[in-house]
Amino acid sequence: MTAQDTIRARARELLENGEVTTFIGWESGRFENQTTPLVITDASDADKLVCNEYCVNTLAKYARDVVTRGKVGMVVRGCDSRGIVRLINDQVINREDVYLIGVGCAGVRDRKTGELLKKCAECRHGDPVICDEMAGDAAGRPQPSERFKEVHEVELMTQPERSRYFEGVYAKCIRCYACRDVCPCCTCRECFVDQRRENWVGKQNNVAENRFYSLTRVMHIADRCIECGECERACPMGLPLMKLNRKVIKDLNDLFGEFESSMTLDEEPGKLITYDLVDCEEFM
Amino acid sequence: MSRIGVFICYCGSNIAGTVDVEAVAEMARTLPDVVHVETNKYTCSDPGQEGVRNAIISHEIDRVVVAACSPRMHEPTWRKLLADTPVNPYMLEVANIREQCSWVHKDREVATAKAMDLVKMAVAKVARLQPLHSTEIPVHKKALVIGGGIAGMQTALDIADAGFKVTIVERETSLGGKMVMLDKTFPTMDCSACICTPKMSEVGNHPNITVKSYSEVENVSGYIGNFEVTIREKAKYIDYNLCTGCGACETKCPQKVVNDFEQGMSERTAIYKMFPQAVPAKPVIDAAHCRKLAQGKCGVCAKVCPTGAINYEDEDKLTTETYGAVVFATGYKLIDWKPLYPEYGGGAYPDVITGLQFERLVNASGPTEGHILRPSDNSEPKDVVIIKCVGSRDPNKGKAYCSRACCMYSAKHAHQYLDKVPDGRCYVFYMDVRTPGKGYDEFYMNTLHDGAQYIRGRVSKIYQEGGKLICKGEDTLTSQQVTVEADMVVLETAMVPADGIDELAAKFTVGRDADSWLVEAHAKLRPVETNTAGIYLAGTCQGPKDIPDSVCQAGAAASKVIGLLNKDVLQSNPQISHVNEAICQGDGACVGICPYGAIQIVQKTFRENSRKVTRPVAQVNPGLCQGCGACTVTCRAGAMDLLGYTNESIMREVDALCQW
Repeated sequence: MTAQDTIRARARELLENGEVTTFIGWESGRFENQTTPLVITDASDADKLVCNEYCVNTLAKYARDVVTRGKVGMVVRGCDSRGIVRLINDQVINREDVYLIGVGCAGVRDRKTGELLKKCAECRHGDPVICDEMAGDAAGRPQPSERFKEVHEVELMTQPERSRYFEGVYAKCIRCYACRDVCPCCTCRECFVDQRRENWVGKQNNVAENRFYSLTRVMHIADRCIECGECERACPMGLPLMKLNRKVIKDLNDLFGEFESSMTLDEEPGKLITYDLVDCEEFM
Repeated sequence: MSRIGVFICYCGSNIAGTVDVEAVAEMARTLPDVVHVETNKYTCSDPGQEGVRNAIISHEIDRVVVAACSPRMHEPTWRKLLADTPVNPYMLEVANIREQCSWVHKDREVATAKAMDLVKMAVAKVARLQPLHSTEIPVHKKALVIGGGIAGMQTALDIADAGFKVTIVERETSLGGKMVMLDKTFPTMDCSACICTPKMSEVGNHPNITVKSYSEVENVSGYIGNFEVTIREKAKYIDYNLCTGCGACETKCPQKVVNDFEQGMSERTAIYKMFPQAVPAKPVIDAAHCRKLAQGKCGVCAKVCPTGAINYEDEDKLTTETYGAVVFATGYKLIDWKPLYPEYGGGAYPDVITGLQFERLVNASGPTEGHILRPSDNSEPKDVVIIKCVGSRDPNKGKAYCSRACCMYSAKHAHQYLDKVPDGRCYVFYMDVRTPGKGYDEFYMNTLHDGAQYIRGRVSKIYQEGGKLICKGEDTLTSQQVTVEADMVVLETAMVPADGIDELAAKFTVGRDADSWLVEAHAKLRPVETNTAGIYLAGTCQGPKDIPDSVCQAGAAASKVIGLLNKDVLQSNPQISHVNEAICQGDGACVGICPYGAIQIVQKTFRENSRKVTRPVAQVNPGLCQGCGACTVTCRAGAMDLLGYTNESIMREVDALCQW
């Protein structure tokens, strides 16, 4: 039995028994290599579920949206499961709210070229970090050798080069907020960009405001980013958003020691949100 | 529509000398919502204040900007003034055009432009302020003192004498702390026990003081005026209501245990008083060593006790009480030098002792009845080496700081030794001699006259050879190697905070520095307060001190506590954090960042989209919040807002600054 068969069978069972109210997975479109996320509530829809190497979307964020209807069953790979850990640790959902069927993941391919997606080539955890049961075996994929390769490339630039580079990036941004909407860390009930009274960031679409938006978002997710790369994949303008995310993660690693966020439910609170008398204050 | 009044001060020539005050006033008249602008030579003077008051009435002003000195200086003055007017005291913004403008600039044009910007910002901010009102917090008129050493006892006595109830929690079996272990006190050489034990008995008998010996703080909640503290009284196995302290049990107990009070140089029984003058003057049973409790056999003490006070079934008792104020007087211990200084034998040589061991050796009630004898063979040492700064001023091995008292007590030890052993020789290895204090340098000079040889340098090695301790060091004044064949070596070791201070301070959210000394609210101006309101510091828990300084600080802490307990209610500071529950996600980022432990996550039920939803949100304890604003910058959603310094008002300030 393939993992896909197991998922279909278990989804049907879970929905029939009433153990979950909704089930989240993927369905294929006209072709097998075109998939979209699928949310089902009826056991008879279980056969629509697919699980193949073209399931590009990370599912965690969908759990937040349907959890109010009742317990959610879902398929999780490494990225999905870390997204779920993030949501639980950020008190967005509870562990009891989700039933997780894990699948090992060897990476997702581009539907046109068939090549491994960038986010999957950089992925460090293909197998789920938490789940209630596994469908099929863990993939046990080797980790890429260098976590911060693209950061080094940016760090090698001179300051004016770097400034020009990012200005070019922000000149292209259309502020559609797709990066925010897809991010499992971006779960504020009201995002700072929508707060009109404070008016943290102007509505104008220009380099200055776009940069301010991007830098603020990077700092908001800094010590929580799960490095799923969904923001970069979702960006319709193809902006290299993970470069800046990874730069901040690298800096945090250098300042506070090696860490990877959202690996366990009992992880330590992020370094940026804890108070310690011996914190370094070299700027004081 | 708000009506803003702007009052700009010349401060004599303090501001007007560098800032064109009239030009700033002219500019202020053009700002939106400003209905009245006034300049004054001295706005804070009586006529100046009267002018502000009259202008508020005649121009129906509802928000006030004062452009003058730092708000640190006169903000309270303006608040007080506004309290007598229809304007809410918190509808005020002070633009600091003195300390941060006229005083730091020389160029009149630049300073004037900056003053204009500061006034623009203040006007923009004051337009967004909301009226705030303080609430009243009740004060429980009772104080808790943690630690029964000289600092704790002095604090307790001073508070109790002012008429307030005090509880002392002491984790040892008796009051007295370190002071009661000392033999004599510098520079007057009066007997330490003779001045300490009367204080102990005064504390024990004071009608306003409750002594909880053999007890520790288990749990704390609450805030200034209302600390709810749970105290664990360890099982003493003796009913103190029945025990008369006759001591029959101590004489008959067959179990011998190393005596910590005598610094391990003698033995005590398993049922024991720490020392003869202990307060409370009643013994406890050391459960770890008692034969009856450990092995179930013996029971001699119960047989000999004439009042039947022994109770082997005794258990720890937990009591919870509410206190208005808490004083930390947890004291110090000596650094464990043995693992740090293997070159001094690391504890392998019995005749290398610490200063506190020397105090017991020279004490008439100590293990040798006051005769200075070597622990190894009970012979009188003829050559004694005293080494200062063992663990102090040694960042590589011990602590970087100076322990402050050692220069004086090493001089005292030299003096006492030369006094008791007239034909003895005493060598003191030192880095510096620091004797600031009344009569201190005279005392040191006397020790030099007694014949103590001071050698400037550190000892690099001590080893044993034929019953002698060979001390190798350097005299840095003559750049010569020095070797002293000593019979006994006294190490004047560094003070470090008492055991368990980290856990205890964390319970009370009191700050510690890198060495775990408790941190005062301001090193100069608030030396006995902590950053947590209602918690004060006395004695060496704050840093190394000698007895006079500890007693001084104890008195200071007591006066702060008395000032607090004298009030029936406290006015709360309304400029504290406020949670916008509509957008609070309850992820608790603010909880970990709060230095005062003022925020907790609670489950609350809301009506959202026609449904009842129970979800976590942050809740600020107004008694604990000090308005530092750490949570407001941590909250990603901006759900935390500091009243009086709201995100919105600060953004409008920034906008005002960026307009041109």
